[in-house]
Amino acid sequence: MKHILIALLAFGAIAAGQPQPTSIAIRNAKIVTVSGPTIAKGTVVLRNGLIDAVGDNVQPPGDALVIDGEGMTVYPGLIDALSTWGIPVPAANGRGGRGATATPAPTVPAPPPARGPEDRPQTTSWVKAMERIQANDRRIESARSAGFTTAFVFPTTGIFGGQGSAVNLAGAKTEDMVLVPSLGQYISLTVRPGGGFPSALMGYIAYVRQIYLDAEHYKLEKDAYDKNPRGMKRPEYDRALEGVLESKRILLPANRWVEVERMVKFAAELKQPVILYGMREGFDKRATDYLKSTPVLVSLKWPVKSPNADPDDEETMKTMEVREKAPTAPQALKTAGVKFAFYSDGLDQPRDIQRAVKKAIDNGLSREDAVRALTLSAAEIYGLADRIGSVEKGKIANLVVTRGDIFDDRTRVEMIFVDGVKHLPAPEAAGRGGVPTENRQ
Amino acid sequence: MKFKQESGARNQKSGVLAAAVVCAASVFGAANDTFFIRGVDVYPVTAVKMENVSVLIQDGKIAEIGAKIVAPKGIKIVEGKGLRVYPGMIDSGTTLGLSEISAERVTVDTGELGEFMPQLRALIAVNPESEHFPVVRANGITSTVTYPATGGRGGGGGGSQQIIAGQAALIHMAGWTWEDMEINRSAALTIQFPSTAGGRGNFAADFPEEFGGPQQSYADRKRAYDQAIQRLNDFFDAARQYQKERSNNAPGFKKDLKMEAMIPVLDRKVPVAVTAQRERQIRDAMAFADKQHIRIILLQPRELLKVAADLKAKNIPVILGRTEALPENEDAAYDQAESLPGLVFKSGVKFAFATFNNEFSRNLPYNAARAVAYGLPADEALKAVTINAAEIWGASDKVGSIEKGKWADLMITNGDPLETPTEIKHVYIKGVDIDLTNKQTRLYEKYRNRP
Amino acid sequence: MKKTFLAALFVAAFAHAEVTVIRNATIMSESSKGTFKGSILVRDGKIAEVGENVMVPQGATVIDAQGQWVTPGIIDAHSHIAGDGNINEGSVSVSSMVNIKDIINPEDVAIYRALAGGITTANILHGSANAIGGQTIVLKMRWGKDADGLIFEGAKPGIKFALGENPKRAGNPVGGGRGAQPLNARYPATRMGVEDVIREAFNEAVQYKAEWDAWEKGGKQGIPPRKDLKLEALKEVLEGKRYVHAHCYRSDEILMLIRVADDYGFKIRTFQHVLEGYKVAKEIAAHGAGASTFSDWWSYKAEAWDAIPYNAAVMAKKGVVVSLNSDDAELMRRLNTEAAKAMKYGGMSREDALAMVTINPAKQLGVDNRVGSIEVGKDADIVIFDKDPLSTFSKVQKVMIDGSKYFDRDSEVSARPMKEASKQKMIDREKADQPAQKRRPQ
Repeated sequence: MKHILIALLAFGAIAAGQPQPTSIAIRNAKIVTVSGPTIAKGTVVLRNGLIDAVGDNVQPPGDALVIDGEGMTVYPGLIDALSTWGIPVPAANGRGGRGATATPAPTVPAPPPARGPEDRPQTTSWVKAMERIQANDRRIESARSAGFTTAFVFPTTGIFGGQGSAVNLAGAKTEDMVLVPSLGQYISLTVRPGGGFPSALMGYIAYVRQIYLDAEHYKLEKDAYDKNPRGMKRPEYDRALEGVLESKRILLPANRWVEVERMVKFAAELKQPVILYGMREGFDKRATDYLKSTPVLVSLKWPVKSPNADPDDEETMKTMEVREKAPTAPQALKTAGVKFAFYSDGLDQPRDIQRAVKKAIDNGLSREDAVRALTLSAAEIYGLADRIGSVEKGKIANLVVTRGDIFDDRTRVEMIFVDGVKHLPAPEAAGRGGVPTENRQ
Repeated sequence: MKFKQESGARNQKSGVLAAAVVCAASVFGAANDTFFIRGVDVYPVTAVKMENVSVLIQDGKIAEIGAKIVAPKGIKIVEGKGLRVYPGMIDSGTTLGLSEISAERVTVDTGELGEFMPQLRALIAVNPESEHFPVVRANGITSTVTYPATGGRGGGGGGSQQIIAGQAALIHMAGWTWEDMEINRSAALTIQFPSTAGGRGNFAADFPEEFGGPQQSYADRKRAYDQAIQRLNDFFDAARQYQKERSNNAPGFKKDLKMEAMIPVLDRKVPVAVTAQRERQIRDAMAFADKQHIRIILLQPRELLKVAADLKAKNIPVILGRTEALPENEDAAYDQAESLPGLVFKSGVKFAFATFNNEFSRNLPYNAARAVAYGLPADEALKAVTINAAEIWGASDKVGSIEKGKWADLMITNGDPLETPTEIKHVYIKGVDIDLTNKQTRLYEKYRNRP
Repeated sequence: MKKTFLAALFVAAFAHAEVTVIRNATIMSESSKGTFKGSILVRDGKIAEVGENVMVPQGATVIDAQGQWVTPGIIDAHSHIAGDGNINEGSVSVSSMVNIKDIINPEDVAIYRALAGGITTANILHGSANAIGGQTIVLKMRWGKDADGLIFEGAKPGIKFALGENPKRAGNPVGGGRGAQPLNARYPATRMGVEDVIREAFNEAVQYKAEWDAWEKGGKQGIPPRKDLKLEALKEVLEGKRYVHAHCYRSDEILMLIRVADDYGFKIRTFQHVLEGYKVAKEIAAHGAGASTFSDWWSYKAEAWDAIPYNAAVMAKKGVVVSLNSDDAELMRRLNTEAAKAMKYGGMSREDALAMVTINPAKQLGVDNRVGSIEVGKDADIVIFDKDPLSTFSKVQKVMIDGSKYFDRDSEVSARPMKEASKQKMIDREKADQPAQKRRPQ
C-alpha cells in the first residue's frame, strides 16, 4: 500500500498547492545526521516543514505518512556553498555604476569607460541574489535531483557582484525559496576587458580597498547626520556603499597559495569577515598555513588539461602538479583544521558533481567529511547551522534519501525533501547553461 | 686595470690617435684600399694565431700574410705592435638597412604583403646611409645577412601572413650604394615555416579564457598548419613545372617573375633559410626540403637538440639566436639559451650566431662570449661569428677569415673582441679604413662638452 | 607525500648557516678599496668582517673562493618581475591608487633567474602607460619566501611617473592604443598634456593635503576628510615619504618634470631610462636626482633615436648618481656585463662601472645603508663569480642574501636530472590515469 503511495507520488515533483501530509515519517532507514553519530536504523519525523524527531527508537506519529526506508539512507539535504543556480545567464558584461543597472537593456548604449573608483565600475553591491533568482531555472530541479536542497546563490557579475541569498531549491516562486536574503558580498577580481578603470589586477584590488575606505567614511557621515541633521549637508546617497555596508561578510577569490596569502591579508586590512573561494592549491601547506581560522569554499571544478592544447606543448611541472593535487586539497584542509565546504562552480549536472566529490574521496577525503563539506560545514561557514545542514530536531526538513552511499556511482537518489515537501529526482536530462562562478583572479 | 681605456669613441681619422696606431702618409697613389699592417698578431680563425707578423692589403683584398713580408715602398703603414687583427664579424640575421626605428612603421621596410613572394629582394631596399651601419660596424661587425622579414619578431607590417618572404642578402656594412655593399644578393630564400602556435593575441593576456575570445582548437590549428604546408609544396611543385616548361620552351610559355625567382632555389644554387622552432616544425621542414630536393638553413630552431643527429646527418646548418635570451618555459634550466651553442657544437651541427635585432646587432660578440661562459670553446665562438657564417651563406671565398685573396674585412683590436671593454681600434671593409664615428659618438662629443 | 623538486629547492634555500666565511676571494666593492684578495665573515645575515685575513670562528661554514670573484649583490633599479597580472593600470592617466605591493608573486620564476644572474635587490615598478603611475616596491630576491618575505623591509616605497610616448599613446588617435576608437581616447595625447596631467594631479594633491593637515591641526575633531588612495600617494610624495621614479626619454620632458617638481616642492628621486639625460645632466645633477639608464638601448622608437651608450658615463662625470637597469627579466640576469659597457663607452673605471649596478642603485633606492657594497654591518648580500664579473666570459656561481645561500650553480646543475625525472614521472602518472578516465561514462 505504501508502495502505491510512493508510486503515486512518483509522477514528478509535487505541484504547488496540492495538499501535503502534515507529517511524514521515514522509518527503518540509515540516518546520517552529520551533527551526531550515524543511526544504523531509525526514524526521522517531519512536521510543518521541520524535523520533528530523529532517533533509533522514535515511533512514527499516528497522523504521519509513513515511508519505509528499509535499505535507504537519509542525509541532510546537500548545500551548494557558492552557487548561481536560479540566476539566468546575464546578457553581457554589465558595467555597474551609479544609476546603471547590472544588465542594461540592449537599447541603452554602454556607459562610458569608468574614470576611477568614483564611477563605481562593475559594482552592483546592492543587488540581492534572491531578486534575480527565477524559480523555474532548470538547474534548480537538476540540482535538487542530485540531492541538493539549498544553495547559497550569489550574483557573480562584476567586482562587487552583489549579496548572496540562501535559498531552498524548491518552490513555485522565489519568495517561497528564500531562507536568508543576504549572506554577504561576492567580490571577484577576475580582470575583464572593457576599457575603463580598473583594467589590471592591482587596479581591482585598489578599487575594493577604496570602496571600503569610502564605506567607512560614508557611515561616519550618515551616522552624524542621523544624529543631528540640522545644519549639516545631507550625505549623498550611494547605493554601492549601502550594498557594501549591509553585507555581513565578503567572499574573496583565492586559488593559488599566493592568492591565499594575499587575500587573507587583504581581508584583515579591510576588517571584514571573509570566506575565500577557489582553493585550487588548498593542498599546499603554504596555503593552509595562512588560513587557520579563515573558512574556505573549495571549487568542485577540478583543473583539467585544456582541450585546445597542442600535444607537443610541454606543460610546466607546476601546472601538472596542481592538476594532480587539487583534489587532495579537501583532505589537506581537513588535516590542517581549516573549515571548508564545496561549491559547484558552474557544474550543474548532478553526475558531474557526484563525480567531482568522488574524486576528492578517491584522493583521501573520508565520505563523512565529504558529506559534511556539502552540508553542515557549508551551513556553519555562513552561520546557518541553527537551521540547516544536519538531521536534527528543529532544523528545516531538508533531506535527501538514497539507496546506497550518496557518492557511489550506482547510487540512486530516491527522494528529496525540501521544507518537508517530498520531491522525486527528475530524469537526468536537465539542460546545461549554468553561469560559471568566477574563481580566479 | 686590465680594461682601462680612454674612450672607445675616438675618431681615428681626426688625428686623435689611439695608443700604438700610427698612420703613415700614403704615397701609394690615391687608392685608399691598399695598406700594410706591420708587426701585428693575426687571428685568421681558419688557422692558428700568428704573432708579430705583417699583412699586406692590396686593392681591398688580403694579398700577403707573414713575418717576412716587406712593405712595398710608399705604402700606407699601420703599426700593429701589441694589437690584434681579426676578420670582421658577420651577424647572420638582421634587417639592417631595411629597418631604422622599429616602432615607426614608415621607417621599416620588412614584412611585405603576400603569402609567396620569392621575387622580393632585401638587397635593393638597403639604405646605405642607415644610422645603424656605423654604430654596428664600430664594434667590428663588418657584414650581415639582412632579411626581407623578421619572422614575426618585430618589423611589423603584413609579414605575419607570409610564408615565402623573399630573398635575404649578405652585405658588407659599408658602401656608397647597395651594389657596393653586396656580397651575395641571394644568400637565401626566406621561409617562415607554418606553425601550429596561435590562439589569442597578446591583448587578452590578462583576461581569463572566457573573456579572451574563442581560442582556436588544436585540431583547427593543426588543419591550418597542414594546409599551409600543402600550399607551400604546391607552390614549389608549380615552380618545378614552370622550370620544365621553360627549359622545354613549351608552347604558350609565359615568363613569371615569382617562378623565375624560384629557379636558383630548385637548382640548389640558393639555399632556403627556414624559420622553424618546434621539433615538429623542424622535422616537417626537413621533410619538405627532402621532398623538394632543396638546401636549407634553419633559423633559430629552438628545439634543435631533439633533432641534432638528423641535422648533422643531412648536413643542415643552423643559425642560433641570441644567448642573451630567457629559457623557453618555467621548467627549463635558467641557462638554457646560454648552454645551447655548446651543446650544438658537441652534436656536430654547423652553426653561426645572429642577433635578429638591429638594435643589438653590435652585441653579437657578447652573445658568442656568453655561450663560452656556458660551455662553448672560445675559438668555436669566434668561428660562429666569422667563418662559419661565411660558409653557411656561400661566401667563404670572400669573407669570414684572414686568408689570401679574401676581402680585407678586418678589425684591429687591443684584445679579445668577445670581451666588452676591448677597444676596436680600426675596422676595414673591403680594405677601406672605416670611420668609427657615428651618430652616437657625435652626440657624445657634442654634449660631453656642453658648458 | 612525494616532495616535488620545487619544494626541495625551497627547503635548500632556507637552509641558513649562522656563520659563514668566504675565503681567498678576489673582492670587488666600493671604489675606495678597489679590488683586493681577502675574506668575508658573515654572521646573522650581516657582514661582520672583511679583510685580507679573517679568523674563521669554530663551526663556521667555509666557502673557499680561490680563483673566484666576489661582488656585492647586484641591484636593479628598474624591473617588472614578480607581479601578477598586468603591470600597467593603463585605464587612467593617474593611477597612483594602485600598488605593486598588492600583486607580488613570489612564484615568478624570473626571481630565480635574476638571482642566478647575481641580482639580490630589485625595484619593482608599475608600467609606463600613465603620466602618474602606480606605487612601487623594493624587493629582495628571496626565492622561496612568500610575498611578505620578499619585501625589502624598511625600504622607502616609490611611485612611477612616465613621460613622453608611452603615457600619450592611449590618447593618440593613430597611436594604436585605445585611441583607435576616438571616443575612448584618453587624455593626454601630447607632451604638453602629460605636463598638465601631472600639474593637475598635484594641484589636487596640495589641496587634499591641506584638508588633512587642517583636520590634524584641529585636534582631529569631527569626521576626518575622505581618504582618497590616488591623492594619498601624491600627498606622501609632497611629504617626502615616497620616492618618485620617473620614466623619461627626451631632454625636454626631463627638464619639464624638474620644473614641475620645483614648483610643487618635491624631488624626483630617479629619472628612469633617461636616454637623453646626457643632454641635461647639469640640470639633473642640480635637482639632485639619480639617473637609471640602459647601457646601450636605442632606435626601438622615435624617442630613443638620440640614445647613446655614453649616456651613463656623461651623466656620471657631470655629477649624477647613475645606475644601469634592465626593465627586462632577461637583461636583469646580466647587469654585470652591462656595467662593463660603461667602461667601453665613456671610459669609466672598473670600480665605477660596477658601482652602477651595486652601490649607485642602492643610493637611488635609499637602501645604501643596508646593501650595495661589501662593508661591515651591511646585509650579507653577496655574489660569487667564477671569473672577473666584468668579463663576458664570467658567470655567477653562488648568491647569498642576508647571509643565506639562495643560489648555487653546482647544486642547481646537479639537481637537474632529478628534476627531469620527477617531471617525467608526473607525465607518466597522468598518462596511466587517462585510460581509466576514458572508461567512465561521458
